[in-house]
Amino acid sequence: MQGEIRLEELTKRFGEVVAVDGIDLQMPGGEFFTMVGPSGCGKTTTLRMIAGFERPTSGRIVLDDVDVGQVPPHRRSVNTVFQSYALFPHLDVAGNVGFGLKYKRLTKEEQRRKVGEALSLVRLGDLAKRKPGQLSGGQQQRVALARALVLTPRVLLLDEPLGALDARLRKDLQVELKALQAELGITFVFVTHDQEEALTMSDRVAVMSGGRVEQAGTPREIYEEPATLFVADFLGVSNLIGARASADGETCVLRVGERTLLAAAGATDARGEVKAMIRPERIAVEPQGALGDNRVPGMVERAVYIGSAHELHVRLVGGDLLRATIRNDGSALAYEEGTPVTLYLPPDALRVLKP
Amino acid sequence: MKRLRNPWGRPRFLVLVTGAYILWSLIPVALAVLFAFNDGRSRTTWQGFSTRWFTGETGSVLHDPALQGALRHTLFLGVVCVLVATPIGVALALGLQRWRGPGGGTINTVMLLPLVTPEIVMGVALLLLFLQVLPGIGLGSSAQAIGQVTFTISYVVVIVRGRLVSIGRDYEEAAADLGAPPHDQLIRVLLPLLAPAIIASAAVVFAISLDDFVVTQYLSGDASTTTVSMLLYSSARAAPTPALNALATIALLITLATLGLAYLVYRRFASGSDANAMAGLEV
Repeated sequence: MQGEIRLEELTKRFGEVVAVDGIDLQMPGGEFFTMVGPSGCGKTTTLRMIAGFERPTSGRIVLDDVDVGQVPPHRRSVNTVFQSYALFPHLDVAGNVGFGLKYKRLTKEEQRRKVGEALSLVRLGDLAKRKPGQLSGGQQQRVALARALVLTPRVLLLDEPLGALDARLRKDLQVELKALQAELGITFVFVTHDQEEALTMSDRVAVMSGGRVEQAGTPREIYEEPATLFVADFLGVSNLIGARASADGETCVLRVGERTLLAAAGATDARGEVKAMIRPERIAVEPQGALGDNRVPGMVERAVYIGSAHELHVRLVGGDLLRATIRNDGSALAYEEGTPVTLYLPPDALRVLKP
Repeated sequence: MKRLRNPWGRPRFLVLVTGAYILWSLIPVALAVLFAFNDGRSRTTWQGFSTRWFTGETGSVLHDPALQGALRHTLFLGVVCVLVATPIGVALALGLQRWRGPGGGTINTVMLLPLVTPEIVMGVALLLLFLQVLPGIGLGSSAQAIGQVTFTISYVVVIVRGRLVSIGRDYEEAAADLGAPPHDQLIRVLLPLLAPAIIASAAVVFAISLDDFVVTQYLSGDASTTTVSMLLYSSARAAPTPALNALATIALLITLATLGLAYLVYRRFASGSDANAMAGLEV
């Protein structure tokens, strides 16, 4: 498959600051690959190195088995959709989309045809004569996309392209972008700080922090099986419980205050002080006094209505606060604030993280 | 108890001060222009309306060789100054913007020096330069042009760099990303985006050249290198007639027209790109 990128020991220093700290990543050809992380984690710098705007301090950027690390941006077969879109304000939409075709050895007629095709691909055919300043944010975003895609790059780089749009439009474009990628089969490398965006759109996600890759894998892997505390915390709401791990034969036993819990997921071979995590949607809320393993008593501190679900903040006897979500099935919530409850933490959802 | 003032009312005191200032600064100019149209030799007593000092048979701007020559020389210096200072200034601005190596800060400061150096110091320094170091050029038109270019370049650099900063690097990177080599990034993207700033700075250079007195006076040669400002200064004490007012009025109109035109062009170009690009005009 064409469009495969391999980053090897890639490092970028700005003076004393290490923006990207020797990362290794595999981006398979034809996949939707996302780099996600908080601002300053090095994701944008990595993207800019792949585009050629920044020169790596060391390491290699291998595109289809060729090291392109020292190739200037205008000779790389990768194109970028900028966060600011960077549409040329003095050119109309057709002029923007046709900008790069000038370097492709095409006749005027072919250029015009390709511009038309690219514009209809993003459903903007009737706006070819408009200037960028006369377009809405969503339309500008499509022009930026058409301008990059018309050159049929092997890899398309997208730097938070949905960041400036409102929530509704964002959702629509997420779906559209993913569909477009699947249709074209071009490798998309997407940068975002939005964990939901990363999970919903990608074939593969790399979670970054402090210039390093914390974990890379499919959305399901990194959400369900976070390898580190950071990944668990960054992707969605997660409950972290401090515990002491010990062994009971094959299984891992966690001591949380007075109680013992069985944990069957994650680093079950860890011993001593650990953190255990569980997603709010995996916790079952039961009436006070329910019996069985892996149950802990607590008190509902807050009940938050969030539309599709209720979120309960439950204070455990030991002091830890857990959030549990209950799907909204239309009936009234049985647990008001101040109600004592029992929480069931299924062993296969209780995940042990190494500190 | 103190009476509470209405906080939504007009700030009357500020309006008064602003109005007074505008009047104070415009009245002398208005008077000077008014007496350019006096139908008599006096520059203080109104004797009726006439355009004799502009186009009359004797002593008018149109027919007095000295006045006419001064006007022509002034415009000539202005055009030369624009044609030389603008391209150099744009090139310098682009270069300084890209300068990442050591010494960048120093060069920046040096570029701004002509803007804060007293003009008299600049004039004396240039005079010495042309007398002692470059006697080959000699005083006169060339020296005046070089002198004016020397300090007007700084204005071009400041205006164009302001625009460069507000443009940012995104457009250039986008051009490179789409396959444009560095030369094309400049020609197809950067220069069109800089056009408003370049036109504005050309207008500012022209206006400054027109008004300049100190440097132009120091570096002048024979009578043929007299400019409007020099003539106004020297004959203000000798035998002033309203023809001087007429000359000053013409110079004023040219300056205003230049700046007005630049403003319009700038607005036209800058609209649709970004509003804060106007910052470049506010020197």
